[in-house]
Amino acid sequence: MSKIDENEICRRLEMLSQIEPTSEATERAINRTRLGFTWGTATTTYKIKSPSPIFRFAAAAVLLICAGFLAGRLFAPQPIDVEQLRAELEASLKSSLSASCEQIKDELHQQVSRDLTQFAAQTLAASTTVTDQRLIELIQLIEEARMRDRFRVAAALEQIELNRLQDKTRLGNGLQALATQTNEPLRTEQN
Amino acid sequence: MEDRQRELLELLDKSGASLYALLTRLTLRQDVAEELMQELFIKLSNTKGLHKIRNWGAYAQRAAINLAFDWRRRQRRTCLSLDDVPVAASNDCSPLSNMIHAEQLQQMLNAIGRLNRTSRQALVMRYVQQQPYDNIAEQMGKTAHQVRALCYKAINRLRDLLGKDRKEAYDV
Repeated sequence: MSKIDENEICRRLEMLSQIEPTSEATERAINRTRLGFTWGTATTTYKIKSPSPIFRFAAAAVLLICAGFLAGRLFAPQPIDVEQLRAELEASLKSSLSASCEQIKDELHQQVSRDLTQFAAQTLAASTTVTDQRLIELIQLIEEARMRDRFRVAAALEQIELNRLQDKTRLGNGLQALATQTNEPLRTEQN
Repeated sequence: MEDRQRELLELLDKSGASLYALLTRLTLRQDVAEELMQELFIKLSNTKGLHKIRNWGAYAQRAAINLAFDWRRRQRRTCLSLDDVPVAASNDCSPLSNMIHAEQLQQMLNAIGRLNRTSRQALVMRYVQQQPYDNIAEQMGKTAHQVRALCYKAINRLRDLLGKDRKEAYDV
């Protein structure tokens, strides 16, 4: 482990020891402490002794239970006639539902029509786009096939021309050789 | 109760200034020192078993040191070391040199905060408060020789701690 120089430590500690607060700050701190301390002890001296926490908790619990009991007795709902409530609810629901049923049906019909139309339009647009795309791809494929055929025909024609030239050269050479061989016996006979 | 209040007020009159200076040195902030001073005296007034305390001054000083280092611990932040900064050519009071000095003091106080309580108390009383060994020994209930040994060990430990901090800073 590397160590720092001892003199350096002493120098820093000396720097620390030379720090002095201003006299005003010191005086203010002491006065403030005295005031706070006097006030704090005064309040603690004459403070009424509070009951123990257990007693306080017990009293709070008793009060809460009493309050709950009273509130329950005062605000408890009266017994309800279930049959009457059901009949009233039924009548009320019937009246409110019958009025709005037709309206809801119409709205639903309109909504379904709108959705179907929208869906059809979207499907048509999508299918048109897909068809166009497929057609473009087909045209590209046909063009590529035509180009390939053209290249192949051009290559075949080139090969035919090459063969023709080779045949011509061979024929010329053959005729020349034949002529040479035919001339040789004639010269010998002449000699 | 009345006696205690009177004793504490006497202590405030007698050692208030030195306690405030000590708190300022250990926190490097006058406003914090003021707050801690109040906290110290409230703490002293609420201390139980006061009849066992023989030396109020020493007890208050020890409590002040602990309060200040508790505050430092709460305030601890990770700061980059300024040891990498080259030494200034002149000793002028430029903002940079002020900043380096402040950083060095913070480092030193953080390292002191990592010492154990007894060593820290001895070191602070000797080197920060500049008190003689005999006085410290009397306040701590030890012999002057023991206080000297404590200070020596504390300085050695500080060398290790600060050297380690510097090494870590270089490694970074």
